[in-house]
Amino acid sequence: MIITFIKHEFKAFWRSKNAGKTLAVRIIMSLLILLLLLYVVAAGFLMDLILKKVYPHDSLIFSFCGIVLIYFVGELFSRLQLQELPTLRVQPYLQLPIKRNTIVGYLALTALFSIFNLWPFLLFWPFLFKVVLHDAGSRAVISFMVSFIGLSIFNNYLALYIKRKANLNGWVFLIATAVLVLFILGDWSWHIYSIRNVSYLFFGNLIKHPLLALIPLALGALMYYVNFLYLKRNLYLEELSTKKHEYKSSTEFPILAGFGATGSLVANEVKLILRNKRPRSALTISLLFLFYGLIFYTNPGLKTNEALKVFAGMFMTGFFIISYGQFMFSWQASHFDGLMVSKVSFADFLRGKYLLFTATSTVAFILTTPYVYYGWRVLLVHFIMYLWNLGITVNIVLYFANRNAKRIDLSKGASFNWEGVGATQLILSLLLFIPPFIIYLPFKLLGHPDLALAAVAACGVAGILTRGLWIKFLEADFYKRKFAILDGFRNK
Amino acid sequence: MIQVKDLKKVYGGVIVVNIPGLAIRKGESIGLVGNNGAGKTTLFRMILDLIRPDSGGVLLKDEPVAGHENWKNYTAAYLDEGFLIDYLTPEEYFYFIGGLHQLNHAQADDFLAGYADFFNGEILKRGKYIRDLSKGNQTKVGIASCLLQNPELLMLDEPFANIDPTTQFRLKNIIKEQHKKGVTTIVSSHDLNHVTDVCNRILLMEKGKIIKDMATSSSTLAELKQYFAIGDTPFIKALQIDPEENH
Repeated sequence: MIITFIKHEFKAFWRSKNAGKTLAVRIIMSLLILLLLLYVVAAGFLMDLILKKVYPHDSLIFSFCGIVLIYFVGELFSRLQLQELPTLRVQPYLQLPIKRNTIVGYLALTALFSIFNLWPFLLFWPFLFKVVLHDAGSRAVISFMVSFIGLSIFNNYLALYIKRKANLNGWVFLIATAVLVLFILGDWSWHIYSIRNVSYLFFGNLIKHPLLALIPLALGALMYYVNFLYLKRNLYLEELSTKKHEYKSSTEFPILAGFGATGSLVANEVKLILRNKRPRSALTISLLFLFYGLIFYTNPGLKTNEALKVFAGMFMTGFFIISYGQFMFSWQASHFDGLMVSKVSFADFLRGKYLLFTATSTVAFILTTPYVYYGWRVLLVHFIMYLWNLGITVNIVLYFANRNAKRIDLSKGASFNWEGVGATQLILSLLLFIPPFIIYLPFKLLGHPDLALAAVAACGVAGILTRGLWIKFLEADFYKRKFAILDGFRNK
Repeated sequence: MIQVKDLKKVYGGVIVVNIPGLAIRKGESIGLVGNNGAGKTTLFRMILDLIRPDSGGVLLKDEPVAGHENWKNYTAAYLDEGFLIDYLTPEEYFYFIGGLHQLNHAQADDFLAGYADFFNGEILKRGKYIRDLSKGNQTKVGIASCLLQNPELLMLDEPFANIDPTTQFRLKNIIKEQHKKGVTTIVSSHDLNHVTDVCNRILLMEKGKIIKDMATSSSTLAELKQYFAIGDTPFIKALQIDPEENH
């Protein structure tokens, strides 16, 4: 049965209308991952040299024991950001004579096929064979291996469990990330406890008592079981969530009424964001990112670096544009046909997008004004980056929107649905961060920081003033691609 | 009103629509019939500029639909749920569509009040988003939003498919009323009784071609039934009595 599932998954992947695009993205991704793996392998083989350099006074095995747990905490953090949920469209199988356990077991097991689970092997195993085998014997090596596997499995399923929960409620993800960040800060900044010491304690004793390796393994098994149970219970989830009968009231936004057709389009889009899980979590995450500046501005070492202010300013005032704009116009895929036929000109449609982004960025800028505590210049930079986002970032995002024909199904329960989110999203958003620095850095490096900011501001203002031209350009561009986009959106 | 010229659409080597010429005059009431895959929906979509024809084109009021937006002002269509904004409540959706046609809320409410029977108390003030409505009720929302636009051209793709018998009956009256008002209507349906009852001109499509173009008369239904019930002669004979009873 499981083999049949795997076959179906392959078919779904190859026969999807977007296979070409996905494939290209996947090839780029796998090249990047390969590069990363090379670094990891190199680090693994040179581990003893690196440890010697960092901790010249400790014995090799001792310092190795110290870093293992730190690694796994860091790994959990990156898993939360990057690991993708395995998806099998389970619905068609639920009513067939297939045991529920088989379906859930498949979903839970395939989750192990993640690049993350390879890392500890590449990073730590060379060291085990090079050093530990020689110094502490084969029994210690085996116990290390078993505990690494256990911790990997634990991390794997913990991350997926959190991600699954987060699909239902965006806050879970934020809270989990915050807890983890606080946990790391508790060691690094506040020195309340030391993860390193815990690591010493456990792995140091592991050499003497190999049976301790069963503890991480048991934790891993437990987490797998929790995941399994959660999945099993929530195979029903979609029906359960639609059965909630609360009265949905109609809402209006009087402020937007003054903008005519554009205003009512924006009103619809605001409702889209607030009434659907996925866009709503894009919004909550952008709100959380307003605290991003604290990381930079509280750090005395980074305080003087203005390029970081440019970065933080852009991020905070423009995060919504990036996170939500990335999937434009996919959010509206399910009713795009209707929009195209209704009495809405595409220019108005675009004006609606500009209005939406202007509004959200303005709110974000206003919310970041308390950063003035770190100096007026911070506020100035934020304002300049706010102009940049409205003048340039918006146009880039909308330009790419014309090239996106991938459907997002808003009506689908989010529980098994992590469409397009993950590493690819991160890479695309990074592309948006490069242009301001192309303008900024040359002036800055020539010793004219004020001129550099002025240049960025000028670009932003120019972008805003020429909006009419951009709308014309994007409209013409859209009509070239209209049918491909419509076709893609119709393709469920 | 509508002119179709050399319209052709090919998917993967198979011709799905191939119409050398078709003219629909203002005020005509067209019924489009044909088996699955005959090309009805594709034709609808090409008239609405949602699919690019491989050759030829569609003119509405002597203006090509492709590259123009004027036709949107007087055309209303409901093909499937993809025309509805499903996270809105029906009211919000009606106000949105009405607003595009310069109707304020009060005017829209007035208009919708006239369709209370058609809605049968299942649409307005139910506190549901459109996505939570059944397919039949979604169809009602789609049809009402078309009428709200006070169109000159009304296009409905299988409007009878998901709605209950009472509503089907009411919908037939609505389409007849629109016809009386001089609205050009195009309705596709698999229900031959309905379509011959409502429309004064029937287009029969097969494999992308319009193979029959006839004015509705008392023999039309029998003729259509004969076409669709291939090789089932006793059945046809029994049915041929039907049109008389159907009057």
